[in-house]
Amino acid sequence: MKYIIETNALSKQYGNNYSVNDVCLKIRPGCVYGFLGPNGAGKSTTMKMLLGLVKPTGGEILMFGRELDDRSRMQILRQTGSLIESPSYYGHLNGRENLQIIQTLKKVPKEEIDEVLAIVRLESQQKKKVREYSLGMKQRLGLAAALLGRPRLLLLDEPTNGLDPSGIQEMRELISQLPGHYGMTVMVSSHLLSEIDQMATDVGIIDKGKLIYQGSLQKLHDKARSSIHIRVLNQSAAVRILGEYREPYELSGEELVFTEREDGQIANLVTLLAGKGAQVTRVTEKQKSLEDIFLKLTGKQVSL
Amino acid sequence: MVREWKTEWMKTKYRGIGWMILAFSGLVLLWSLWAYGSTPSEQLEDGFRMSYLQLALMDTILMPVMIAMLASRLCDAEVKGGTLKLLCTMEKKGRLFDLKLLTGAVYLAVYVALQVGIIFLQAGRLDFTRPLQTVQLFCFIVQVYVVSLAILLLQVVLSFFFENQILPLAAGLFGSFVGLFSWFFADGPVKKLFLWGYYSELCFIINDWNQDTGAVTYYDAPFDWFSLCLLLVILAAGYAAGKKLFLRKEI
Repeated sequence: MKYIIETNALSKQYGNNYSVNDVCLKIRPGCVYGFLGPNGAGKSTTMKMLLGLVKPTGGEILMFGRELDDRSRMQILRQTGSLIESPSYYGHLNGRENLQIIQTLKKVPKEEIDEVLAIVRLESQQKKKVREYSLGMKQRLGLAAALLGRPRLLLLDEPTNGLDPSGIQEMRELISQLPGHYGMTVMVSSHLLSEIDQMATDVGIIDKGKLIYQGSLQKLHDKARSSIHIRVLNQSAAVRILGEYREPYELSGEELVFTEREDGQIANLVTLLAGKGAQVTRVTEKQKSLEDIFLKLTGKQVSL
Repeated sequence: MVREWKTEWMKTKYRGIGWMILAFSGLVLLWSLWAYGSTPSEQLEDGFRMSYLQLALMDTILMPVMIAMLASRLCDAEVKGGTLKLLCTMEKKGRLFDLKLLTGAVYLAVYVALQVGIIFLQAGRLDFTRPLQTVQLFCFIVQVYVVSLAILLLQVVLSFFFENQILPLAAGLFGSFVGLFSWFFADGPVKKLFLWGYYSELCFIINDWNQDTGAVTYYDAPFDWFSLCLLLVILAAGYAAGKKLFLRKEI
């Protein structure tokens, strides 16, 4: 099985508007897939379609190599844990009783309740009524419920929403550890680029219902490498010299742009241009951040 | 199915539904102690008939409110806790709807059983000389239970669809008023339009109050099988429509 989740032209239309439009997700087993996009981009709808909570208007979904339909849905979801939007809970019951309900429904041994309570560090609060929990504790309880039954796949929709900074950090660490410790594949959505950057190995960027980037986070980082900008007074001479010496470059306004390189190479380049009369006035190094790339892809300012 | 139903009972913990059923039954018992105590002994000879009529009247007033509270207690935790999106990944969506109804139906059965218990308690305590007719007892159970089930179905749908549970509870109060007034409606199709009116519609005992002597005489009336069948059709159609609405509800 090459992909644990694969969608082909997945779409959801409400009236004349597409909430999700021709999305082709490819999620490798054992990765943390960061599903990134501004608010209202279609992240939650996509994840709900993956769980069969929302019916797609087009396309198909393959999970664990099987097509998700009404017949296969329950079998597929038995291997899946989820936390969608806000946490689900019974406020009048305590944390342990909430998990007992999930444990009974998932048909897993009672002992797993203690394990998941330990993973999310809620052992000491398990006897407290959930309506008295803080949002962070509710979120952790939701994660514990998702982890019951050791699912092969976890779908987490904005799991750090509403958490305080230490809660956010704790949740991120927890999610990052899941593939390594328990062999799970995690799909986690967020509108925060920095968050995905800290947790994910692979990333998909969705905007206005369309998947505009998908690949490894490393490749996205590669795009974010720094570049060297050289400004000269005699640009035509500089262009001629670089042509003669077969130096790759790009023109950006009055500047010649070069890919990131060693200090010695930059010194040689400047010496060459200055020596052949290009009249070098300025050399600057510019760092293209992930935010710049996100902004270029979506046209929207990313939350940090 | 059994596993899923077990979780429904786990969810009812601390909800006080059992206490609520007992409280309403206690209210009926207290009322019957007072009402039967002030009834002349010659009327008590026909105590079973009197009970079927008087309890049906009490049910008309109390049951719509009690059922609204019952349905709300069963469903509001799902709505408030946003649990549908989690539960529907672990059990079939329609099953949750069925199990809520089934759980509510069990509570209603307990309530009806307690009411039958009250009739027998009074029969033993006072002297109901005319013998019990099991057919009439059966008709009374069918009358109260089927009407209550139909109201439960309506209230479950309302409780699932309204986050603010005041609206389903208001529907229960409205039902009590409509039901009470229905005892005074003339026979005809209008009476059959309101679910809550079927407590009176299906009542198979009529009474005659003698203004001069103040004596009340109870008579048998033919059981209205047509209305029962109509109610069963409404119940089946309401179940199909309610479940369809529930299945179509996007989470």
